[in-house]
Amino acid sequence: MSSSFLLDLTQCIGCEGCTVACKTGNELPEGVSYIRIGERISGTFPNLVGGVDNQRCLHCSDAACVNVCPTGALFQEDGLTRVNQDACSGCQFCVQACPFDVPVMANGVATKCDGCRDVVRAGGTPWCVTTCPSNALLFGDHNEIAAEAHARASTMRAKYPNAQVYGERQADGLGVLMVLPDEPEAMGLPLDPEIPTVTEAWQDFAQPIGLGAMGVSILGAGLAAVIARRNHLQEIGQLNQAAAGAGGNDDEVTT
Amino acid sequence: MSDSNFKQPVVTEDGERILRYRPGQRYIHLLVAVSFVALFLTGLPLLFEPLSFLAAGGWSRILHRVAAVGFMAVPLLYLIVDREGMKELITESFTYDKDDLRWLGHMGRYFLGNAADMPPQGRLNAGQKLHHAAVIILGAGVVFSGVFVWVSAGTMSDTLLSWSMLIHNLSMIGLVLLLIGHIYFTVVYKALTSMHTGYVPKVDAEIEHAKWVAEIEAREAEARAAQVQSGVTGHAGAETADEKPSED
Repeated sequence: MSSSFLLDLTQCIGCEGCTVACKTGNELPEGVSYIRIGERISGTFPNLVGGVDNQRCLHCSDAACVNVCPTGALFQEDGLTRVNQDACSGCQFCVQACPFDVPVMANGVATKCDGCRDVVRAGGTPWCVTTCPSNALLFGDHNEIAAEAHARASTMRAKYPNAQVYGERQADGLGVLMVLPDEPEAMGLPLDPEIPTVTEAWQDFAQPIGLGAMGVSILGAGLAAVIARRNHLQEIGQLNQAAAGAGGNDDEVTT
Repeated sequence: MSDSNFKQPVVTEDGERILRYRPGQRYIHLLVAVSFVALFLTGLPLLFEPLSFLAAGGWSRILHRVAAVGFMAVPLLYLIVDREGMKELITESFTYDKDDLRWLGHMGRYFLGNAADMPPQGRLNAGQKLHHAAVIILGAGVVFSGVFVWVSAGTMSDTLLSWSMLIHNLSMIGLVLLLIGHIYFTVVYKALTSMHTGYVPKVDAEIEHAKWVAEIEAREAEARAAQVQSGVTGHAGAETADEKPSED
């Protein structure tokens, strides 16, 4: 099953309830928070569009963090991006690669929202969703969440003409579909969060080709060494024979 | 020659073996070998997913940095222990004469173990020169990209990080391929003793590095002549020969 969150920024009141529930529920260490709330107001008075920034992992399908993670500590499961902290080497590549600045370091390893994996697997609902008092958060099957997001956006257009769904095509689709009161740019969201081509090139080409070249070279060198060593010994034998034939020279070539 | 000769004669007394690597050079080589293998082994888990569990917890990262310091110390230490040797290595690795080019043209034969009829070579054969030149260039690539990622961990942009890692990893793959070749030729031409005792049998050197042997013999003869001359002339000093004094 592919799960998703609905994050309705037309409903979010910025109460920080989700931040606190997440932090306590997941027993996050001091200084670490998976959700960061901020205010964002755009336009000029009196035509203001207000909103709340609810910065959190968006669970990209084509996730930069998963792409750059060299140990597989970041991985995808059930349509969400998970972290296995036991596998993390602390290289911080994910911190640098994420276009949404989501992963952070805690106690030397990377950490971020994992969609409350254990809670959900035990039949529960993620902490932030359970707590939200303004009906801004939902969690469930991706298709149902998408339908709900579109329904909410079209209702909202009566109030916010630019209201729209965000996250259906960004990074191959996000695991957090948002209902925005305004254009993504106005909400500080990238229209097209991109993974650098060079990252993709490494993962898709350079790495397998490099490893393949090493393997082939080792095998080839092993085989060729047997032949070449025999050739060289033969050559030395001939030189020694020639030297013995010429006489006088009792130097033995040994290698 | 160099200060760091550690009193090892250039030619053994029986005249059968020639000093190929001075002790300073051998220790530097050992440091390169140990630190490089350590860097490779601690870096591999980040490249080869089945081994990635070895990187968990960050221990390999700490070891990688310890080894990196050793690897980066190599040029500095080489400069200290054998400045002449380092200069020689760098200049020779980037200078190729006609014999070298001809040698490269016939490299396939040498690769398959036939050294006897190759064009005559100096202290380094053309393949070794190319090898060292590539090691210097790729080594610089791996060091600079590595230091860059090290000092700016967590703060650089994704594009910069990707480029640095691409350069780092490709340089390293190149170096590993060179190492495979290096070990290959060591086995085929049974060359390990030169790094162990410092000496190679003169008969072997004559086959593989004829111009180098000739050079050494000329220098030795010159030194002997100078010695004889200083012994003979003593303080009479009237009949000076026009020979240049030896560098040794």
